[in-house]
Amino acid sequence: MNFIYSFQSEWLKTRRSLAAWLVLLGGFFIPAIILVGRVVYHDKSGPEMQSPLMWENVAGQCWQFMSLFLLPMGVILATSLITQIEYKNNAWKQVHVTPQGLTVIFLSKLAVILVMLLQFFLLFNIGIYLAGIAPALFYGDIDYPGQTFPFDYFLKTSGRFLLDCLPIVALQYLISLHFKNFLVPLGIGIGLMVAALIAVEWQYGYYVPYTYCPYNFFEMRGAAMKASKAVNIHYWALGYFAVFTMTSYLIYIFKKEKG
Amino acid sequence: MHIIETNGLSHHFTKGRPILDQINLRVKEGSIYGFLGPNGAGKTTTLRLILGLLRKQQGEVLIFGKNFGKHRTEVLRRIGSLIESPSIYGQLTAAENLAVWQKIYRCPKNRIQEALRLVGLQDTGTKRAHQFSLGMKQRLAIAVALLHEPALLVLDEPTNGLDPGGIVEIREMLKRLNRDLGVTVLISSHLLPEIEKLATDVGIIHRGQLLFEGTLEALLERQRQVSRIAFETDDAPRTLQLLSDIGQAARHDGSSITIPAVEKQAIADLNRQLVEQGIGVHRIATMEDDLETIFMNLTGEGGLGSLRE
Repeated sequence: MNFIYSFQSEWLKTRRSLAAWLVLLGGFFIPAIILVGRVVYHDKSGPEMQSPLMWENVAGQCWQFMSLFLLPMGVILATSLITQIEYKNNAWKQVHVTPQGLTVIFLSKLAVILVMLLQFFLLFNIGIYLAGIAPALFYGDIDYPGQTFPFDYFLKTSGRFLLDCLPIVALQYLISLHFKNFLVPLGIGIGLMVAALIAVEWQYGYYVPYTYCPYNFFEMRGAAMKASKAVNIHYWALGYFAVFTMTSYLIYIFKKEKG
Repeated sequence: MHIIETNGLSHHFTKGRPILDQINLRVKEGSIYGFLGPNGAGKTTTLRLILGLLRKQQGEVLIFGKNFGKHRTEVLRRIGSLIESPSIYGQLTAAENLAVWQKIYRCPKNRIQEALRLVGLQDTGTKRAHQFSLGMKQRLAIAVALLHEPALLVLDEPTNGLDPGGIVEIREMLKRLNRDLGVTVLISSHLLPEIEKLATDVGIIHRGQLLFEGTLEALLERQRQVSRIAFETDDAPRTLQLLSDIGQAARHDGSSITIPAVEKQAIADLNRQLVEQGIGVHRIATMEDDLETIFMNLTGEGGLGSLRE
């Protein structure tokens, strides 16, 4: 019960925050570009509407841009921004004098980040859907997609990317809880993201916890990299998430100064 | 009963001189306890230790008679606090800021407007907190502390940033809460006049040591004890000599010779003796020693100017 009240309180703090705007705009950003492209070039996208793989193609286009750079970057920014709300507003001390356990505080803040991530995926998928049907919406002579909307495919794809994001969430959460300066989690996050993009071709690239989104994208395209063939990257992502979250929790609990 | 009791509370940040040294604080139920000391004396560190914001290194903290460490959430439920600068979410309105804490304390929603009214922020509407002046932010932080109707208020320099009118309002509000609702208030300040006008009990901390603790009356009595009589004459050296010869602890204080306060009749006798020795007496006055002088005496130095601003 405490957790629910704490979660509600944490959720309220995100109202009008930069992180909330980031989720909203970030979720629709790539689908909006694809949507405009499909509407403008309707002569090309129109005939594709009846393709048996129409939805997979649209989703693939959206994920291509999202998975390699924007998704990890968005997760880095959103996680750091949400966690840093307390530092920015000088509010950690007030949070820590409320009658709630430290575990509840830790988990409710993490839960808010995860729910925002889900929100982001939901908006992104709605965006893909709108991008898919846009030519038919704008032009009466273009038929709606002939292919049934593949819920299963969308769920699986999003689920895998969600899993692959979790190490980023957990590590950014750990760093953001610990450092007051927003530039530290941001800098480390961007550094690791660049390292991940370099490491994807390395046979042991799966050791780098930020590589799983790109690996998943290549798998999705049927071009799995050597490293991601060697191991199940989703298990690795879950493992890293568990390790980072536990480490983060212990550091938080044993921190000498609480605001 | 003591609402707050610390026993042998000591703290150090790095090796060397402790920030706090064996602090034994006793805050009585229903009192307004003024925790006074110059900047850097250890006030905020003490309050942070009491509230569990700093991990305790040595000593014991009892609040409502319970060990704070063992009953943390239970104790915190009955405390409202404001430590240092206000904790305000800038992108939220005043009411939304209070709603954040209302959910955790699970107090009725109408408390939000009541708390805002108490601090005069009921008309801020949709204005975001980042647009508030420092004084308004301070008021909002006080509203956060009052939201759940706590039995104990711990306020660290709560009038920082307030204009004189705001200071009076907050002072009157704290008195009212204490008088009408029996709220115990622990308030720290480096401003002596503020504490003089508000507190029933006083603790004075300096360089991590609690130099005085007692009622304001006890402190004022101490003031009376240390007050002195000043003699301004046309021959200060001879006045000093004469007063010393007749057993008075006389000393030079600026242009005067002073002795510890004596009865009225004794003053007349001393005056007569001075005149009989041919010394012209221009003025005899009781030195109005204020609390600041007591602090100077307690701390053994004169560097406490920040106590009176």
